[in-house]
Amino acid sequence: MQKAFLVDSDKCLGCNTCAMACKNQYHQDKGILWRQVREIGHEEYRTDQNNILPTLVWYAKPPKVEVPAERYYASIACNHCEEPACVAVCPVQAHTKDPETGICKHDQSLCIGCGGCVKACPFGASKFNEQLGKAEKCSMCWERQADGKLPACVQSCPVEAIQVVDIHDPKYANIGEKNPLGLDYAVEAPTKPSTRFIHSSMPNKVHRL
Amino acid sequence: MSYSKEKVEGILNDGLQRRSFLKGLVACGVLSVLPGGRLLANESLNTKIPYLGEKAYETFRNACPRNCYDTCSIKTFVKDGVMQFIEGATESTFTNGGCCVKGNSYVRRVYSPKRIKYPMMQVGGKGSGSWKRISWDEAIGHIGDKFLNMKKEDGHLLGAALTKYSGNFGITHYGVEGMFSSLGYTTRFGGTPCWPAGIDAQNFDTGNMWCNDPEEMKDSKYIILWGVNPASNSIHTMKYIYEAKRKGAKVIVIDPLFTETASKANEYFQVKAGSDGLLALAMAKIIIDNNLHDKKWLKKNSHGYKEFEKYLKTVSVKKASEVSGLSEKLIHEIALGFAKADPATIWIGYGIQRHTNGGSMVRAIDALVAVTGNVGKYAGGARYGHLHTWGFNYNAMTNPKPKGSIGYTASNAVMGDMHGADSAKKVKYSDRYLNINKTAEGILTATDPKIKLLWVACKNPMAQDFDRNKLIKAFNSVDTVIVADQFFNETTRWADIVLPVTTQFEEYDVNVSYWHYWLSINQQAIKPLHEVKSDLEIASLLSVYMNKKEKGSCTFPQKYDSKKLTSKEFNKGIYEQFGIKSWKELENGPVKAKAVIPFADGKFGTPSGKFEFYSEQALEYGHTALPEYLETRKPYDKYRLTTLHSRFSLHSQFQNIDWMEDIHPEPFVYINPEDATYKRIKTGDMVSVFNKQGLLRVKAKITDNTPVGTFMMYEQWYNNSIYNVNELVDDTSSDMGLFKTGAPGVALQDTYVNIRKV
Ligand code: SF4
Ligand code: SF4
Ligand code: SF4
Ligand code: SF4
Repeated sequence: MQKAFLVDSDKCLGCNTCAMACKNQYHQDKGILWRQVREIGHEEYRTDQNNILPTLVWYAKPPKVEVPAERYYASIACNHCEEPACVAVCPVQAHTKDPETGICKHDQSLCIGCGGCVKACPFGASKFNEQLGKAEKCSMCWERQADGKLPACVQSCPVEAIQVVDIHDPKYANIGEKNPLGLDYAVEAPTKPSTRFIHSSMPNKVHRL
Repeated sequence: MSYSKEKVEGILNDGLQRRSFLKGLVACGVLSVLPGGRLLANESLNTKIPYLGEKAYETFRNACPRNCYDTCSIKTFVKDGVMQFIEGATESTFTNGGCCVKGNSYVRRVYSPKRIKYPMMQVGGKGSGSWKRISWDEAIGHIGDKFLNMKKEDGHLLGAALTKYSGNFGITHYGVEGMFSSLGYTTRFGGTPCWPAGIDAQNFDTGNMWCNDPEEMKDSKYIILWGVNPASNSIHTMKYIYEAKRKGAKVIVIDPLFTETASKANEYFQVKAGSDGLLALAMAKIIIDNNLHDKKWLKKNSHGYKEFEKYLKTVSVKKASEVSGLSEKLIHEIALGFAKADPATIWIGYGIQRHTNGGSMVRAIDALVAVTGNVGKYAGGARYGHLHTWGFNYNAMTNPKPKGSIGYTASNAVMGDMHGADSAKKVKYSDRYLNINKTAEGILTATDPKIKLLWVACKNPMAQDFDRNKLIKAFNSVDTVIVADQFFNETTRWADIVLPVTTQFEEYDVNVSYWHYWLSINQQAIKPLHEVKSDLEIASLLSVYMNKKEKGSCTFPQKYDSKKLTSKEFNKGIYEQFGIKSWKELENGPVKAKAVIPFADGKFGTPSGKFEFYSEQALEYGHTALPEYLETRKPYDKYRLTTLHSRFSLHSQFQNIDWMEDIHPEPFVYINPEDATYKRIKTGDMVSVFNKQGLLRVKAKITDNTPVGTFMMYEQWYNNSIYNVNELVDDTSSDMGLFKTGAPGVALQDTYVNIRKV
């Protein structure tokens, strides 16, 4: 099983409910968000206002279709990669990949704050908490899932723009795209990120003044 | 996660008050909840908490009492007396287990280190910033004496004024008005800043303001979202719109701005602001010319249709095309598409009525929907808002005046906000009423008596009202300004006494929406923090004090029990409407009113009992009897400025929460690329936006979401900046509002500015 987020940008309103729902559940310190809603459009993704991405070679391809700036949203947290860099790099096994669910868990009590995972993760999913001197990231709410509940972000999304699917289940094997529009890095990422995206489309007819 | 000794020490050393608070927690056996206790600590010191499994928490029912369409039903998870997190109630199909970005920040709002903790007095005078902590006894004594002295000097209390609005729409919060009523006749700021023009428009047309259940929209075949942006401001309605779309309905957005909602529609039509009325009339004309109007419905249910039809002969589609910027072909397309779909509906946003011709535009859209016979139909209707589920007792506000109270004998008593539009619920006042949208002027010009005491509750006028400089002058002219709030803000800055009030999690209340049809109980989930008290408890304390000093001077109940007060708001009508026997049932989850389709029985509250195209009442109030086209305000500067509600705040609320700052850190003025090129402005540049009212410095963002010639700025107060868009808005009135709310609204969208790079 490889649990994964299916992010439907065609539905996503950019409301940021998911990002705050995560904060509501775990109370991350000021300045830290485990899930972020990125506004993409035109060339804006290059400037990366949200700073979710460290500068990396493989993310700067121009978007294929033009969606007006700030009207195309992608909600992104940890990708719970199939070959996670964070797990590979951690010297103390603070990051582990759950063999059953494929969720990449992080145990902060083990973390020695070397910052390796933060640098290694191509997506900036692993955040460095300066005050604690430790790393942290999205856990796919495995405790909630184990309790029979949806992840906080998924449950609170008003339009089901994020779901949790199993990309190893044949039913979902071909679901969505591997690359979020404007962030084509994901396709080539060696970590094999599990997140799948449905791209945003424009209204059929747009009349502008 | 580890809780090292140093860290705990760190928290404990973070200020003496915090320490004593934590000691308090320890004293009530909450030591084990250090993670919860940590919520109160330093903004950036491991505040993380784990999820412990549903069984680890005690749960409570709450509701979001903010001025928002969605009025979410909330489930609150509490451990050892400390709120841990919240969720949307799954019982409400509308809320559907979610909240919005603001609702999800509630825990932080409650435990914000910046909350006002004790009553405070600004000893150095208003604006001095020199505060002294005082006890509740001192605060209430000071205020009570003020009232009593005023009565002694003037013989009445008309020098005491209350300004309260939508900071908390919980029913028991009308107890603030109740407190003032129980003192005698006083001065009130009446009317509503928000939606009066539309309320009047709908009341002229239908004798009510009543809209279909938004959940029905899933079965609409043609949805026009006109000047409304639910993707930002009513996110839970979007799922119904998506469902309709999925089932093949056409979703159209008509808006001057390419909003979040516009990007999700089938078709988006950008129009010039203020042209919507003419556009609707042109569409009605096309529909009638094509013989697609619902003759049967019109004959049976409408009044003045003939006159309307005759008036439409003078409406030119060509002119509508010129004024709106839509081609004649497109206007035909939308009109015919709307007329042919069954059922079809239009959601009229509150943006449309914020023009000097706003009310007339809402009337024109009402008329368009009526012409197609979509009024009184399942999944149809002209949707604006409703107060159909607001039939509570308003027990907290129905106190008799103390014996011998002397007041104003005003002939046209004004009701003010929410139930001003509810014809079923009329309360007669003889207080002195001043226009809530001209607060500064009201205070400065009121004579005989002058305003000597001003009480501000559920409101942040310095951030939300207009002409701030004048407002500061006005506040300074009042002897005693009392502000009851949860946070220090721009208004408390100009107060003499600040009273810390509860959040909804610290008191009982009951909540309904002006949009959907759900009813939620709000249980007290935690003990009030620090020394905060609810608005009602403050009223009780005042009553105790005043009666001790002068028997019979205040009729507000002296015993305070928020649960009991809440239960007193229920009545047979509410129980029947919601299909429950007792309010206790609401502890199991929110319930929905039995479905009723507005006006399905063909009964309208108008003088003719029908839908009125021709309204004598409108004529009486100085408007045209028919929903005629009126030009909007003439530009007085180079660019139009539209001021919108942001999804990150509710007026000035929420943007001050540090969690929100992580998501939405700074304000911008949004400028079209063409205008930006002309002014040589790039994204990120600092610019001055200015006009005859004032000047604002703000960063620019270049986006073609705004049309050429129009800038966009979100309203609100930002915690770390002095940004306030209302510095640029004058208080020019919209056309309607006098009929139902007593005062016209403000034509916010008819603001003009210029810009310069700095
Ligand atoms: S909550 Fe859903 S709709 Fe809102 S930003 Fe997140 S994914 Fe998008
Ligand atoms: S996204 Fe980054 S943090 Fe998440 S599993 Fe992949 S490499 Fe690790
Ligand atoms: S920061 Fe912590 S989790 Fe990340 S690699 Fe270093 S020790 Fe491992
Ligand atoms: S799955 Fe849970 S931890 Fe991850 S972003 Fe969503 S709410 Fe946060």
